[in-house]
Amino acid sequence: MKFDTVIIGGGLSGLTAGIELARAGRKTAIVSAGQSALHFSSGSMELLGYDAQGAPVEHPLEAVEALPDNHPYKLLGRERMEQLLARVEPLFSATGVKVSGTHERNHWRLTPVGEVKPAWLTIEDYLTLDTPDALPWKHVAVVNIEGFLDFFPRFLARGIERRHTTCHFASVTCDAIRHQRESTTEMRATNIARVVHGESVDQLAAALNAVVPEAEAILMPAVTGFDDFRASRRLRSLVKRPLYFMTTMGTSVPGVRSQIMMQKHFRQLGGAYMLGDTVVKGGYNADGTRLLNVETANFGSDRLEADHFIFAAGSFFSHGLNSTPTGVFEPVLGLDVEAPADRNLWFQKDIFKPQPYMRFGLATDRAMHAKKGGKVIDNIHVVGASLPGADALREGSGAGIALLTALDAADKILNRNINS
Amino acid sequence: MNYQQANISDNNFEKCTKCTVCTVYCPVTAVNPDYPGPKQAGPDGERYRLKKPLFYNEALKYCLNCKRCEVACPSNVKIGDIIQAARIKYSAGRPSLRDTMLASTDLMGSMATLAAPLVNGVLGLKPVKKIMDATLKIDCHRTFPKYAGEKFVTWYNRHARESQLALPHKVTYFHGCYVNYNNPQLGRDLLTVMNAVGYGVMLLEKERCCGVAKIANRLVKEATRDAKINLASITTAVDTHKAPVIATSSTCTFTMRDEYPHLLHLDNARVRSSIMLATKFIYELLEKGDIKLVFKPDFRMKVAYHTPCHMEKLGWTFYSTSILRMIPGVELTLLDSRCCGIAGTYGFKKENYAYSQAIGEPLFEQIAEVNPDLVATDCETCRWQIEMSTPYRVENPVTVLAMALDVDATRKANGL
Amino acid sequence: MNKLPKHYDVIIIGGGATGAGTARDCALRGLKVLLIERFDFTAGATGRNHGLLHSGARYAVTDPESATECIKENMILRNIARHCVEDTGGLFITLPEDDLAYQKLFIEKCREAGISAEAIDPELARRIEPAVNPELIGAVKVPDGAVDPFRLTTANIIDARRHGADVITYHEVMRFIKSGNRIEGLVMRDVHTGQETEAYGSVVVNAAGIWGHLVAKKAGVDINMFPAKGSLLIFGHRVNNTVINRCRKPANADILVPGDTISLIGTTSDRVSFDEIDNMEVTPEEVDILIREGEKLSPRLATTRILRAYAGVRPLVASDDDPSGRSISRGIVCLDHAKRDGLEGFITITGGKLMTYRLMAEWATDMVCAKLGMDKAKCVTATTPLPGSEKPVEENAPESSHPSRQHIIELPTEQLAAEGRHGTLTEEIRWQNPGDDALVCECEQVSVGEVEFAIDKLNVHNLINLRRRTRLGMGTCQGQLCACRAAGLLDKADHCAERSLSDLCSFVSERWKGMYPVAWGDTVSEIQFTQWIYSGVAGLDEFLRDRDTEHLLH
Repeated sequence: MKFDTVIIGGGLSGLTAGIELARAGRKTAIVSAGQSALHFSSGSMELLGYDAQGAPVEHPLEAVEALPDNHPYKLLGRERMEQLLARVEPLFSATGVKVSGTHERNHWRLTPVGEVKPAWLTIEDYLTLDTPDALPWKHVAVVNIEGFLDFFPRFLARGIERRHTTCHFASVTCDAIRHQRESTTEMRATNIARVVHGESVDQLAAALNAVVPEAEAILMPAVTGFDDFRASRRLRSLVKRPLYFMTTMGTSVPGVRSQIMMQKHFRQLGGAYMLGDTVVKGGYNADGTRLLNVETANFGSDRLEADHFIFAAGSFFSHGLNSTPTGVFEPVLGLDVEAPADRNLWFQKDIFKPQPYMRFGLATDRAMHAKKGGKVIDNIHVVGASLPGADALREGSGAGIALLTALDAADKILNRNINS
Repeated sequence: MNYQQANISDNNFEKCTKCTVCTVYCPVTAVNPDYPGPKQAGPDGERYRLKKPLFYNEALKYCLNCKRCEVACPSNVKIGDIIQAARIKYSAGRPSLRDTMLASTDLMGSMATLAAPLVNGVLGLKPVKKIMDATLKIDCHRTFPKYAGEKFVTWYNRHARESQLALPHKVTYFHGCYVNYNNPQLGRDLLTVMNAVGYGVMLLEKERCCGVAKIANRLVKEATRDAKINLASITTAVDTHKAPVIATSSTCTFTMRDEYPHLLHLDNARVRSSIMLATKFIYELLEKGDIKLVFKPDFRMKVAYHTPCHMEKLGWTFYSTSILRMIPGVELTLLDSRCCGIAGTYGFKKENYAYSQAIGEPLFEQIAEVNPDLVATDCETCRWQIEMSTPYRVENPVTVLAMALDVDATRKANGL
Repeated sequence: MNKLPKHYDVIIIGGGATGAGTARDCALRGLKVLLIERFDFTAGATGRNHGLLHSGARYAVTDPESATECIKENMILRNIARHCVEDTGGLFITLPEDDLAYQKLFIEKCREAGISAEAIDPELARRIEPAVNPELIGAVKVPDGAVDPFRLTTANIIDARRHGADVITYHEVMRFIKSGNRIEGLVMRDVHTGQETEAYGSVVVNAAGIWGHLVAKKAGVDINMFPAKGSLLIFGHRVNNTVINRCRKPANADILVPGDTISLIGTTSDRVSFDEIDNMEVTPEEVDILIREGEKLSPRLATTRILRAYAGVRPLVASDDDPSGRSISRGIVCLDHAKRDGLEGFITITGGKLMTYRLMAEWATDMVCAKLGMDKAKCVTATTPLPGSEKPVEENAPESSHPSRQHIIELPTEQLAAEGRHGTLTEEIRWQNPGDDALVCECEQVSVGEVEFAIDKLNVHNLINLRRRTRLGMGTCQGQLCACRAAGLLDKADHCAERSLSDLCSFVSERWKGMYPVAWGDTVSEIQFTQWIYSGVAGLDEFLRDRDTEHLLH
């Protein structure tokens, strides 16, 4: 099969690059070995949340300068970052995902345990705070779904009450959720979202309208709107007070919905999204400087040929990287990695301290092309969590790196073709 | 030190990181709270079953074997295989008469075809449906697919065998029970298309049911016996014609490629890559430039493609939809990939009927929204389900291709 | 300074199997009992061993006395602790590199100790245990099994309390209250608040394992103990269903035990210093030895995911006549410090093994009774079943009590799993209300009802307690899914979000401690996922900002 570009990995980064390329009319395929880490999204995306000392950052771009030299943001440079940032919000709009926030200044989100974290873009119906130290109400109701174990009203309340807003508690349910609750294991946010539509939304709205009259606003777990915004928008319109969704633990409704909507958009643009398939090896030119094709588990000998490849397979969780007791490796194409072989250097004993393994990634040149056996392969563009040099968890930079490096790779592919 | 270089436990069940993504896409968990969900039924339950078989839970029978959990899994855990293997290994008792009947598609087909008008009439009668509902627990809302008067194989031997030999190239066709007993037209459509591009279509020396229904109903011995016959015939065909064995059913294809080794433990490695869907075969020939297709200039059709679960697992939607997109008169909508709810014999069982329809509901709604002239899909049981549950006509992409093809012009373009 | 109002007949120091067993025995004999534990039950060597129900065969050649004790206690535990024991059987295999001649001596010595030992054909051994190294050249079948030390200790505590014993956890003994050459009581300190409390009793039993060395020092007597570290690895699922041992002189990593849903390989053996005993870490070298040797027992270990590594400390006791420590007492050491050191009212019970905890408790209780002049009080622990084991665990489970699923024939897995863990005590778990059967820990099938039962009845104050009582967080994901859910449930009982979250951080830290020594492959995927969920999404890293994290592990 012939494509202009084949993207390995179908999460936030792979889909972003795919959408850009497909929109430019390029024949694009995404090969995704299962669903992505986007399924665990908090509902917010981060550009740069913390500095090297771990202190929260107010203006993300101003903190870029202090990052290490091999950080993906440094490789892009501030000017380039600004160009790319302008394209992010329209990209989400086009997929139907509405987000708020700006790269000029971080806003704040309230986490499930009542802490605040800096954020860049947040999905439309989530609670955001302009300042980390106050909520805009005197009384709020924290309303759980009856029997839902992955939301913690009292932990959340701890954070709210520290900000001098009084919390009231209640719980609601509806017939469909009661039915769901008969399952011992499947009462998860995403499963609830699959059964809450139509009549159930009305029932939930009626129940929410009846709780805690003195509360000025209602905060509830994000359990509506599985594959589009219809149910959550309708619920918000039926509830007579401001209603905001809060992050749950486990698989995340906004994450799954974003994945589904972006995937759908990519397909509508003519892209081929091959889910559940895995690249098993690559075919290179004679001197090993160009990847010509990849073989996948499902397509076998019908190899996917392309001019360009984007490596967006993520880090360890998504199996873009793997390890044995004796080293770290990239499991599909055998590309070079930037990581020490000695496993004693991978971790710190305190799990809440920065972990060295988080910075591991594929070895690249400064234009983020992959390397194999020390040689640069200039048609493999490495993006997102597969890039080394960033501790996305500690910095609060995961989504930013995924989006910006993907857009950058797409641009490089498009420009190069235009030039030639 | 050379240990722990690869963890390769059975069905990868140890690679499960408990991320629960599989449960997000399980069609059953959204409608049936008695089903423990793919994670519990699969890798979680497996650890307990390894401890003691007593931990096997009969609720695993609610699994559709759609494999959507496997497609979604980021860690390549063979969740569906773990569940089906557990059903085969631990479930107590013999399958019921009803399950055996439903599963024996070829035996039932052979008998029914002999008396097709009678059988079709009887199976369609309300009192008969009520009796089947009450005694066999086959849901009375179900309509059995009509049996054809003449089996595909009979037609082939009478009218087509000779002419195939004259064509320059050969390919072998695994027609499956459905084409043989219920829809010989699809087989004839395939011959139309293949013959027009210079391929003679051969049949296997011996063909048995692929076994999907027998496996789902735990008739493993019977399924294995049939599978061995199929594999032997396929091997002979591949060796003789140096060409693949193609099929028009995504489920038969998937079963012979993946369930044979995974669930029946039959080694098909030598021929696995030669078992493929007709649309893949045609696409590859087209891409290599070996054949050309010419379409009727006035052909117009709004088509919605439904991805069957086993097609999703095969990952080959790309081939069928690409071929449909090549037809200039086709306006194609790719429906969201989701289970239709029938899962072969599953939806025929009384205890599953309501779940089956609830699972399919979003699909039926989307079809109504798109309002196509025709729904195309590569699976015959999806076809039954959609035709039973919506007013839309459903056909295999090969039939659409045959409808749109200008046969004479195509023959000419291919130098015939 | 607080003071406990009761005057006890006996105060027992240490909440391991020996302490718990002694508390039970004393309580059953009618004594007024207080048990003090510095942290949680089973926090020391009791919770950090193989969980092997020794047949005694391992000691048959080198230590016949221990072998005899083991097989006797083995038979007793099968009867009194049915829900803690699994009759897996055991194999002693001879590999090509071993001397097959040893097998003959081994069988002979087993028989002398009263252990049934039967040489079987290697082919039969491969059939009995498909995971065994297929290259074996000899095999002997012995009555080994698996025993769950957490359940065993909990059951002893429950019975002690049912018979009037008071039990206090998270209190450390600071000093003893003496009158002349007699100990009359002790001062203990709440490890969380620092509050000190006096407790008075006629006899104090030092059952603190290796920490007994330090306890004795506080009483002014010297016991020459040496900490011996033993490291083990836990595999992700059951690799074997029969205990596999090497038929040779006991050495490193030569026992593979199936325990509940997992398999364990161990141990190494190294002397360590007393500074290290509160914070054992498994080194990469130990991990390598365990896997290398373990693979010889079962090659499957090479491809099985390792969940975690941990280490326990055996208390080795030097013979009193050899203070150099070269000559180590084998078996049980029960010291009457009145006779030995002229200190009245103080007993030390140590040495021994998990297998002989009951016998150790019997000896210590006999000595306590002698001191109290109660010689007539007879020990009944060898014949009285522990709570949970009053009747055999039914293989044919009764019908589900959940109203909505009675059409499914057998008991749901979470109820079966709970029954495996708590035996007949499972009757006290609620299943009736909606949501009682909802799973908190999905890997180990721990339901809301079981968590609430543990909080109500099993001395659960934090997540680590809960893990030891129920297996919550012990499965494949090591708490990634369940820890936060469980913290939410504990918070419902405790009503202090601050403390609950701090507890959650401790739990995540404690799980990591066992994971990083074996973190490669899927474990790195797992831990990256866990970190994203707990730090990235939930924000526990923010919760810990500017806090000292050193304390988290205790």
